Amino acid sequence: MLRFSPTAWAKLLFMRDMTDNEVGGFGVTEADDLLFITDFVLVKQKVTCVSVSFDDEAVADYFEDQVEVGRQPERFARIWLHTHPGNSPEPSGTDENTFARVFGSCDWAIMFIVAQDGKTFARLRFNAGPGGEVNIPVCVDYSYEFDAADFDVWQQQYLANVVEDTFFSLNGKSKKSQNDQLEEADVFGSTSFDSLGVSSSEDMIEELDLMHPAERQAFMDELAVRSDFWDEYESEVLYE
Amino acid sequence: MRIMYINNDGGGFADFINVEEGMTIEKLFKQKMPHEEAHDYLIRVNRQPVPKEYVLKENDRVTVTPTKIEGARPVSQ
Repeated sequence: MLRFSPTAWAKLLFMRDMTDNEVGGFGVTEADDLLFITDFVLVKQKVTCVSVSFDDEAVADYFEDQVEVGRQPERFARIWLHTHPGNSPEPSGTDENTFARVFGSCDWAIMFIVAQDGKTFARLRFNAGPGGEVNIPVCVDYSYEFDAADFDVWQQQYLANVVEDTFFSLNGKSKKSQNDQLEEADVFGSTSFDSLGVSSSEDMIEELDLMHPAERQAFMDELAVRSDFWDEYESEVLYE
Repeated sequence: MRIMYINNDGGGFADFINVEEGMTIEKLFKQKMPHEEAHDYLIRVNRQPVPKEYVLKENDRVTVTPTKIEGARPVSQ
């Protein structure tokens, strides 16, 4: 069973309810109880009402910061938590892909989702032995002492880390300057061009397909009146 | 030569390891994660990105962390 301390649970719900957007982070556990979450930690991320995307550099900083305070990755990097603004905690295809790609090579990992109405989803995947995965129950564990809520600090953490993504690049290119890209081209490993969650045109079309018709209409209406969605040199839209 | 190495694959790791003098970051990655592609990870030394030819130095801190952690709500909502 995946257990939350009351403080961690309250913090997660506080973050969920800050806006109508998704929000995500990592669960931090005790060394001797890896399924007992005592803190929910945000990293810098871009969010919309249908998505959340962590900043790659922020994830790396989070790892280094946690190691500096003496924690091993199994305590801070195995439980991926995020919210769904709707009433379904069931994972989407994007959730499944991330869980498989990012956490699939770990000995074990958990994907946890809490929906707006409080329903939860938790799946434990493990690679020991033949490997496998199983959905596990979730509870708030009141049997230990726990810290008080601190709404002011939590709000500061939210504002410092979570940015609403209102920007879509319709031509599929990052808005970074060409010089930035050239400088990053020599970097070993991921260059993080997309670390801020800038969507490609294909991503955008796919996301539009997934939207509820009313939500899609609202998005298209906003798109029609928002000049900042277009390139600075693009003064008009041609309809063919 | 001793360096700090941090990654999350397998059992996860965050500790000092010994590497030979002249070890490059590319060689270390291939040695530690032979079945993985470098472009799937953010690889930094002392919190900074480096070129693949970077030669590791005593007490360097190498982090290999996942990228593109993304979630989305399902279609049916």
